[in-house]
Amino acid sequence: MSCENIEPEVLEKMENIVVFMCNECGQGSANTAGVARMAYNPAIRIVRVQCTGQIGPIQIMDALSNGADAVACVGCCLGACHFFNGNVLSMHRIKLLKKVFKELGYSDQFVNQYTSRAAEGETAVGDFEDIVIRLATAIREEGTIKDGC
Amino acid sequence: MDVKIFQFHGCNKCFNETILLNGESEYKVEFIEDPKNWKETKTDVSVITGYLLLEDREVLDKIKSNSGKIIGYGNCATTGGVFALANQRGYDISPLNKFIVDAQKINGCLGEVEELKSAINYEEPSKLKNLCLVCGRKTTCDYLDEVKRQIELDDDTTCFNDLGYLCSGFIAKECKERCIDYNAPCRGCKSSLERPGIRMLGMFGTLMGNIEVATEHSELGATDKLADQDDDVTDSLPDVLGNFFRFTLPTSGLPRGRIPSSGNILNDVFAGRLIEELPLISGLLGGDHSISLTLKIIETYEKANQIELSEPTKKYRQELLELENQLQEAIKSKDPEQYKKITDEIRKIGGNMNLSNVFFGGFRTQIDDNDNFEDYKTHVFDVVEGTYKNGSVEFKIDPIGIVKEIIIKEV
Ligand code: SF4
Ligand code: SF4
Ligand code: SF4
Repeated sequence: MSCENIEPEVLEKMENIVVFMCNECGQGSANTAGVARMAYNPAIRIVRVQCTGQIGPIQIMDALSNGADAVACVGCCLGACHFFNGNVLSMHRIKLLKKVFKELGYSDQFVNQYTSRAAEGETAVGDFEDIVIRLATAIREEGTIKDGC
Repeated sequence: MDVKIFQFHGCNKCFNETILLNGESEYKVEFIEDPKNWKETKTDVSVITGYLLLEDREVLDKIKSNSGKIIGYGNCATTGGVFALANQRGYDISPLNKFIVDAQKINGCLGEVEELKSAINYEEPSKLKNLCLVCGRKTTCDYLDEVKRQIELDDDTTCFNDLGYLCSGFIAKECKERCIDYNAPCRGCKSSLERPGIRMLGMFGTLMGNIEVATEHSELGATDKLADQDDDVTDSLPDVLGNFFRFTLPTSGLPRGRIPSSGNILNDVFAGRLIEELPLISGLLGGDHSISLTLKIIETYEKANQIELSEPTKKYRQELLELENQLQEAIKSKDPEQYKKITDEIRKIGGNMNLSNVFFGGFRTQIDDNDNFEDYKTHVFDVVEGTYKNGSVEFKIDPIGIVKEIIIKEV
């Protein structure tokens, strides 16, 4: 599955996808992608944070209840967090939040977490694509999260 | 001062607690059990107890236009409370502030009557410490290697969270009922900040940092992502909502649940909860039947799974049941002295009015200094899948101990 196969009416429903990217590998890879002029879905809104470890359920739910269709965090590769283990801690919290969504009867694909490599723009763009694909699955199955928030 | 107490839906424990105001000469208290048919009269203070539904708006508007001040008393009124777990299944139990923006809130399950009094008297709310600061257990906040669902009682100095047993004391204020003093973790009924559930979720997620979380290789761009599968993180917390959002689901900022409802509110509150949490929930919401309800649920399971009960356990449980009968009499006659005397007795055995001390197989703390605690000490019990039935209570437990269905006839 790639982004090209997503139906236009599904893509249309993706207006704001908030991606918290850490200042190191996350933002670095997005910069590299930008320099290489790689294209990605225009709904992606990057929010630069020092480390994905700063992002927790509060920030994610704030984004979702203020109009985001999906939220993701992009941090450094596993084992390569520039602080200590912010990316891993963030993963644990997001995993629990995903479970909360399931317990409420929602898809768990509205929140996700990724890693990327600063020197490789395609890692960031690949993550964006995966976010869009996962969100498309959720929208097809049950509509946008706005129908519930 | 005219004080009117209105009981809306569900549990009536907070409503009953206001009987204690009856003994004070400065208040003229009126108890209104059927707010819908209330004949409007002006009043100085109105107190709202029980959970609220959207259809209550009209009645609440009437109360508002007749009252000098409105106070929501107990979590059911202030944040939706334990009944609002049914919002997971499409209910729309709503906090009082949704209807009356400036209503004052006394959080707690049970609400504390001392705080209610000071609110009625327009006194400044007292500054309370965080619960952890007054807890006998000490925390290190080290990462956990394992999360436990039931705790062994041999360590009473280490923080429950450090032992791998989640406790919401981090987001709670010091309280009167003090579950933590009875070897029961705090579930955060008296929260110290906004959106406590979601903060606890972030906090506990962090504490779980050492526990394996499943990741997978992403073909796109070739990095890693969170895997779409259950892992040790999700498996060790089978009921996140029921444990972190027990009292605050409607005010948590989470979307309203859309799991199909069973059509019965108690079933919807209990479904999804864990077997070991059942007494902590039935003790909360059973109103003036909470003792018999809790014991019935516990004993149904014990009997079917041959959990032996010692004589002292049976004796104390019998005493609790007798106290419940007496309490119902005191409630009928609205006698504050009797009510106080009996609830004090209940607290001596049950720990608090939520019965934190009551558990499967015995009690969690020593009741009387002259007792040998070993005679009735609870222990970790096995989760056994099955359908359990005993007269008015019937419930189904799945293999990991989640309540699938519960039918409660009398409450
Ligand atoms: S469930 Fe708790 S908050 Fe609600 S009325 Fe009963 S004791 Fe009060
Ligand atoms: S989290 Fe619970 S057990 Fe730990 S210190 Fe706080 S109140 Fe005590
Ligand atoms: S210890 Fe019990 S009574 Fe006190 S805040 Fe926590 S849940 Fe509420």
